[in-house]
Amino acid sequence: MMSGEFIAFMGIALVAVIGGVLLLNLSNVMHMMVALVFTFVSIAGIYVLLSAEFVAAVQILIYAGAITIIMLFGIMLTRHEDTSEAPGSSWRKFAVFLGVLGFAAVLYFGIYNLDLPQMENTLHEKNTMQIGEALYSKFVIPFELTSVLLLVALIGSIMLAKKDDEKEGDKE
Amino acid sequence: MELLNLYQNNYLIVFVFLCLGVILPVVALFLGKLLRPYKPSEAKYTTYESGIEPFHDSRVQFNVRYYIFALMFVIFDVETVFLYPWAVAYDNLGIFALIEMTIFVFMLIIGLVYAWKKKVLKWI
Amino acid sequence: MMEELLHSSPGLVNFGIFFLLGTVLLLVVLGFVTYAILAERKVLGFMQNRMGPNQLGGKWGLLQTAADVLKLLLKEDTIPKLADKPLFIIAPVIAFAPSFMVLATIPFTDKLQFADIGVGLLYYIAISGLTTIGAVTAGWASNNKYALLGGMRAAAQMISYEIPLVMSVLGIILLSGSLNLNDIVAAQADTAWFIFLQPVAFFVFLIAATAELTRVPFDLVEAESELIAGFHVEYSGFRWAFFMLSEYVYLFAMSALVTILFFGGWLPLPFLGFIPGAIWFALKFSMVVFIFIWFRATFPRLRADHLMEFGWKVLVPIALANIFLTALGKELFEYFF
Repeated sequence: MMSGEFIAFMGIALVAVIGGVLLLNLSNVMHMMVALVFTFVSIAGIYVLLSAEFVAAVQILIYAGAITIIMLFGIMLTRHEDTSEAPGSSWRKFAVFLGVLGFAAVLYFGIYNLDLPQMENTLHEKNTMQIGEALYSKFVIPFELTSVLLLVALIGSIMLAKKDDEKEGDKE
Repeated sequence: MELLNLYQNNYLIVFVFLCLGVILPVVALFLGKLLRPYKPSEAKYTTYESGIEPFHDSRVQFNVRYYIFALMFVIFDVETVFLYPWAVAYDNLGIFALIEMTIFVFMLIIGLVYAWKKKVLKWI
Repeated sequence: MMEELLHSSPGLVNFGIFFLLGTVLLLVVLGFVTYAILAERKVLGFMQNRMGPNQLGGKWGLLQTAADVLKLLLKEDTIPKLADKPLFIIAPVIAFAPSFMVLATIPFTDKLQFADIGVGLLYYIAISGLTTIGAVTAGWASNNKYALLGGMRAAAQMISYEIPLVMSVLGIILLSGSLNLNDIVAAQADTAWFIFLQPVAFFVFLIAATAELTRVPFDLVEAESELIAGFHVEYSGFRWAFFMLSEYVYLFAMSALVTILFFGGWLPLPFLGFIPGAIWFALKFSMVVFIFIWFRATFPRLRADHLMEFGWKVLVPIALANIFLTALGKELFEYFF
């Protein structure tokens, strides 16, 4: 059936996959980042198709907006001489190929045999409200653990960055 | 079903706006190409550097504090994202949700204070 | 008719109609930008005791901006030899497209709105964050020291002020219980304009919004004395025009958003309900735009370190405190009444 939803999904999925392939194949880091932004945004499009508009907005806000910026700043932090890695041996390539093939087979059978029951959903009505009610009544513990995780990430990164900073300060 | 149609139509409009936002620059630049002159000369295509010949690579290495600010931004952005559904559903959740959120935000305030004390928030 | 169309199954016909309507809005916005630039120059002139543009199109210089646009269109387009060509070309598009996309969700009156999406406010914030990438990409692609510095500064400033921006609106969401901009206006019809209920949020939002728009006093991104023109040094002609255009489209969108969030959108003042909503919206909207222009004539530019520290050390704690005071106030209000 060629419904509008199907066409939209194919279009968005195509952009996402092309973005991913470009990310792997381009040699310039900045080009990779722009390809990655396209992938992130089209994944948000897929969420919209799945009636998860809050998640879609978050995907754009966090991934396309914030994660990309942190990677861009990471690129600016490094010295970027254009050095490409020496190509690996053919033996190694073969092993990687086998690995990819195995993964694809596992994924294929996994999805093929997966039996998701069709449920009536009303996710598109008051989507954020539904998430809020679920998150703050059923999933309180994971939510609070998230805050600990975020705190650890923040303090850890500050410690690492500060160490770097002091070293640089010594040099100057 | 009615509401699903409404939902999909609304996002179709968003897609239309995306298309228009891309089409306008493309069309305008194409039209400009037909109208504007094209007289290349060597000097026009050099990089601008206040009149002197550009030297060094312009892609300089930036200070680490840009990166720290980006990190803080990501972490606080994620936190705010959690606050949004909380604020929307607050009426249906009551005082217990307020306590939950207080704990959550308190953790992040510790992080902010730590960053402050470590002088990370300083931009020299 | 619109109701029926919105409830019908989405298809190519809908796409076509939306496309035409969207084009109309695009033309309206372009008209706004043309006259906003003129208004800005005239108001600044008035505040600084000058004339402002007064040559083209009569005493008010009504054709001045149109002539400027024409000039830009006829300018030769140069891409520096050392620039990263694909990124250099794509960067203005990345910067401009989000600025127009955010307009999709803004309700101008109770009838005149394009996409009435459930997460409207979050949609606005998320999409507008994408422009930062355009700025950094432009700075990098130019392969110019000033451009890269300007781009990085723009990004650092925008991300630092995005946090207080997103946090300050939480007070409003708590009071209205929705992210949908229509519901937010409806909540103000039931109580009062949110500028009275959330004055702290208003000031934090206004400051953060000015910084997001990179307008004076937060216009370090284009500090001429140190960075020439910021991330678009190497851009000329119409490519440059799109950065400028995106800036003013954001001015349009942000002023509309402030009007909706804090001034009750199209809601009339008491006893003046006979004046239609569209006029009320236009009045409030023009007032907000005027405030932004007024800022430009009044404030000196901030220093880079003051800018960053002000965002993180002052605005973020205030915004956080405001959220909890609002929630607490709501609890107490329900307890006593």
